[in-house]
Amino acid sequence: MTPLPSRKNEAFRYTDLEALAGVWPVAPEEIVIGPGASEAMSVVELGANDVARHLVVTIEERGAFDLRVLNAGGGFGRIAVDVRLGEGASFTLGAAQLGSGGQTLELVTEVDHAARDAVSRQVIRSVLGGQATGSYLGKVAVARGSDGTDAGQSVRAMLLDRTATANARPELEIYADDVKCAHGCAVGELDPTGLFYLQSRGLTPPQAKRLMLQAFIAEAFTGAPDEQRLCEAALARLGEML
Amino acid sequence: MLQIEDLHATIAGKAILKGLSLAVNSGEIHAIMGPNGAGKSTLGYVLGGRPGYEVTGGSVTFDGQDLLALEPHERAAAGLFLGFQYPVEIPGVSNVQFLREALNAQRKARGEEPLSGGEFLKLAREKAALLRMDMDMLKRPVNVGFSGGEKKRAEMVQMGILDPRFAVLDETDSGLDIDALRIVGEGINAIMRHPGKGVLLITHYQRLLDYVKPDFVHVLAGGRIVRTGGPELALELEERGYEAVA
Amino acid sequence: MSGESSVKDQAARDAAARVADYEHGWSADIEQEFAPKGLNEDTVRFISAKKNEPEWMLDWRLKAFRLWLTMTPPDWAKLNVPAIDYQDAYYYAAPKAKKVLGSLDEVDPEILRIYEKLGIPLEEQKVLAGVEGARKVAVDAVFDSVSVATTFREELKRAGVVFLSISEAIREYPDMVRKWLGKVVPVRDNYFAALNCAVFSDGTFVYIPEGVRCPMELSTYFRINAENTGQFERTLIVADKGSYVSYLEGCTAPQRDENQLHAAVVELVALDDAEIKYSTVQNWYPGDAQGKGGIYNFVTKRALCQGARSKVSWTQVETGSAITWKYPSCVLNGEDSVGEFYSVAVTNNYQQADTGTKMIHNGARTRSTIVSKGISAGKSNNTYRGLVRVGANAEGVRNFTQCDSLLLGKECGAHTVPYIEVRNPSAQIEHEATTSKISDDQLFYAMQRGLAQEEAVALIVNGFAKEVLQQLPMEFAVEAQKLLGISLEGSVG
Repeated sequence: MTPLPSRKNEAFRYTDLEALAGVWPVAPEEIVIGPGASEAMSVVELGANDVARHLVVTIEERGAFDLRVLNAGGGFGRIAVDVRLGEGASFTLGAAQLGSGGQTLELVTEVDHAARDAVSRQVIRSVLGGQATGSYLGKVAVARGSDGTDAGQSVRAMLLDRTATANARPELEIYADDVKCAHGCAVGELDPTGLFYLQSRGLTPPQAKRLMLQAFIAEAFTGAPDEQRLCEAALARLGEML
Repeated sequence: MLQIEDLHATIAGKAILKGLSLAVNSGEIHAIMGPNGAGKSTLGYVLGGRPGYEVTGGSVTFDGQDLLALEPHERAAAGLFLGFQYPVEIPGVSNVQFLREALNAQRKARGEEPLSGGEFLKLAREKAALLRMDMDMLKRPVNVGFSGGEKKRAEMVQMGILDPRFAVLDETDSGLDIDALRIVGEGINAIMRHPGKGVLLITHYQRLLDYVKPDFVHVLAGGRIVRTGGPELALELEERGYEAVA
Repeated sequence: MSGESSVKDQAARDAAARVADYEHGWSADIEQEFAPKGLNEDTVRFISAKKNEPEWMLDWRLKAFRLWLTMTPPDWAKLNVPAIDYQDAYYYAAPKAKKVLGSLDEVDPEILRIYEKLGIPLEEQKVLAGVEGARKVAVDAVFDSVSVATTFREELKRAGVVFLSISEAIREYPDMVRKWLGKVVPVRDNYFAALNCAVFSDGTFVYIPEGVRCPMELSTYFRINAENTGQFERTLIVADKGSYVSYLEGCTAPQRDENQLHAAVVELVALDDAEIKYSTVQNWYPGDAQGKGGIYNFVTKRALCQGARSKVSWTQVETGSAITWKYPSCVLNGEDSVGEFYSVAVTNNYQQADTGTKMIHNGARTRSTIVSKGISAGKSNNTYRGLVRVGANAEGVRNFTQCDSLLLGKECGAHTVPYIEVRNPSAQIEHEATTSKISDDQLFYAMQRGLAQEEAVALIVNGFAKEVLQQLPMEFAVEAQKLLGISLEGSVG
């Protein structure tokens, strides 16, 4: 299989779906959050097998869904999440992708603000070493008339080795004017002030770096019902990578 | 124990310290005061070894050792503590984890045995109590969600746990209400007022000095020490302002 | 001029002869020669023959044409492009050159009159209020496809600056053109670039010699005048070591009902320590309020920052065209080289724009800055699409991108599609995007202070775009500010 993401000419396309034939598409896992209901879910992929999952989430009016993803297993791991938000619904996605060796990890999201006053928050953190490639393709679509939309994407990636690759495409498609939509994306910088702060307390540079990476990943899991379990799982994986 | 001679330093090519000299002996507490932009925080960062702060001349000797030749963590292991004006938030890393790793890294560098988890928690509990800080706060991520005053108190708890021989405290009094100011002041005395230790207290205002009596007060302006006196100098500054005094 | 080979190809001569009989009036009543309608190898040969081009150039064109036949138009942009019948267009139109022109006085008065109507100054000196006294602007006016007047040649010649139409350059500086033409934007780069290679009719060539700071801002005003005439401009600017040039490109077009294709290629080359500043104000006919007509602007612009410490800065104000497909880019090969992209794109009514940049960081310590301001109104769609790529061997790369969208009204669309690909751990890449609208509070506040609604909107929009507008040379900044207001007329209320 062609390593993903691949690109055709200047077509600005990452996901070469032809190269995915045999792995993709998979049967979607349907999740419906009823009106006013509030649910949480964690997807933790740490195994040796390739992963391809497709979550299709409908959050009905005033419903809330908190989804956390730790995408770190298999040579190839693709987790796609389609979310349709009803009026006043809210969606939280916190995802960490930890890749090493020759892993290819992909997180593909499409968050559709189909009605008014819905809120979506996405926090994506990737740490990639070896020859790993980590991609985030995240589209936020705001339909005509979906005023009061509040959508945020925070996407950050950290490379441990020169041979690793981080890709990001945080996309906004907006057809309503009374909206608050923003994304921030950064690759490749541990906060130098934080590093200095830790070192000024006596931590060696590698120790300071590891703690900063721990902090970096933890941002994806802050506020999750099983925050501690997720952080520990991620930390163990990070320990293997460093 | 700390000897600064003719120190020049720049940030992004801009000269900030322009020939600063200062000596602090064991057992002494020195206060450095001065207007905004005088170079007070720069002095703290240069002593701590922050990247981006370039020393272009002069020397700093700490117990006979060339401080400027050391990496930030080596300075910490040598016994230097820098209290940050704006302590940094580290989400996902608890104070307990952070400080235990930091303390044991320092101990290792000094050839000492690491503290066990139990020993460390006992020490942390003791120092937190000294600063009247709830132990639960130490289980939370470093500085995340702390108020300005809590951050400064947490800095002092860190100082208590790490037990440095020399502390540079950069505006530790800012953001503190009256009660917190007293607690922090008493904490500094308890941790650092010792014949074998030294303190450089960087501050805007005289009020912290009510609790931590300095042996010397220096006025820093335009990148150098322009006046030195006893505790009375701080009072004079408070009354007449920097322009009249310096 | 001597020694260059003219086209001997019999087919081209035949094609040229056929065309000479062709009758077609055009609105400004200037005698004009057209290539026959349609596109085939004869068209390519005709253009090459009309240009009196050497053999290698014709071969290059024919190769590009054959390649183009095998290619397909890009379909990844967020654009709805009606099918284009490439056979239903003319690929060459030129005012009849009766003789070589020596001065402006000899330019067809009809052309001068149109320029005047458009407010395009073609005087020898342009005095600018408030800017370091008088500044000179050299204008290589491209009327339709052929340069008809070039001013300031003498002064530029003294500085050693070459500023010619590309047709002249192919004849006079064949080695230099051959060395760089198609090196920044390869023939096979994309469908429209390949088409341009085959049929480009004219354009501009600039060479700034080593160590020379070009003594004036260079300016080309493009206009499209003839109906059903595709415009295929070709620009090549080479800045040799340690040189500097500021190049201004502006365009306006009279109203036309037919859609017109414009597929230009601009190639910039900056060698060691050279700097090129390329500014564009694009105000082609956007179509009417019902979305009828308007220009299709499918342009490939790219800079090669080949030398160490070289710098290229693209600034664009895009208000016109029915459809814009345009990504002025920088390939940062030289160590410590710098790429910048500052863009304001306004769409109103049924306009569609998919524009942005690509910053390809191959060299160590290369830096780039992207500031994009998209303004959507009416029923238009406005997309920022940009790529920042950092190669595995590029240490210490820095990029900062700021992408802001402003929506005026509930029927438009504002989209942001940034692509970030990083392969080196030392890179620091930052991208921020926001979306906002003009708040009722802002409008009310400005109107309470005495501004009419449209003035208030123009004021706020200019504030929104200020970071980009201030990158423009003064003579453009003023025009651009006016344009923003004009483009948005009727969009609020």
